Amino acid sequence: MIDALAYVLVALAGVAVIWGLVTAAANKPPGKAQLLFAAGVEIVTVVQSIIAAVKLAAGFRPVELATTIGYLIGIVILIPIAWLWANVERNRFSGVVLAVAALGVLAMTLRLLVLWTPAV
Amino acid sequence: MTGVPTQPTGSTVRKTNSGAGRALVAVYGIFALAATARASVQLLTKFEQAPLAYLLSALAALIYIVATITLARGTRASRRLALVAIIIELVGVIVVGTLSVVEPQAFPRATVWSVYGIGYGFVPLVLPILGLAWLWHTRSVNS
Repeated sequence: MIDALAYVLVALAGVAVIWGLVTAAANKPPGKAQLLFAAGVEIVTVVQSIIAAVKLAAGFRPVELATTIGYLIGIVILIPIAWLWANVERNRFSGVVLAVAALGVLAMTLRLLVLWTPAV
Repeated sequence: MTGVPTQPTGSTVRKTNSGAGRALVAVYGIFALAATARASVQLLTKFEQAPLAYLLSALAALIYIVATITLARGTRASRRLALVAIIIELVGVIVVGTLSVVEPQAFPRATVWSVYGIGYGFVPLVLPILGLAWLWHTRSVNS
């Protein structure tokens, strides 16, 4: 984990949450830019998990290793699954689905920041 | 929270996996993932610390998985299973939530339902209510 990258991801995911809710409120399905933005959030998420995995491989040991690994893996599958689920039936709720996934990424990143404390 | 099935989604046939139901399934899916991950870690690495709490974590995970799949399928048979799962979920979050407040020593380690799901923004308490409301909302067409 890199703190700055995590905060960037939190901000990006926050934008994706709001964007999804805005299009839902406007009764529109997510637009192309919105879907690309979600893909961008996913790329940053994957980069973050890879960096964390490299640090773990290099010997870093957080207090709750198993939980941390679970989060690092789980966090990267949210947006891809939501993306597929949102595109099967395209309407306002597609945006809500993307918002839910982005909120999950946001919450899990904040949790990872807390988990990323070296074991004594 | 999002995905509140408060308004009709149009004149199309309403299935549990359509319209607002897709958002509901997304929330259930996240909780299925979160609860499963949490229960797996707890059961595999520290089961002896709090067997009751961790078995309840596993039960919660199973309930969320069943609810996610049955709501996502949206068939007549899956609706019934969804109803059973969501009722167990509601009872579970109320009973475990209340016990964890009244009798905290029985739950030395947190579960997804502890203190009515406070660790998850109380979504675990709201979710089964939304789920039941959604099953009720879609009942006439599909059951």
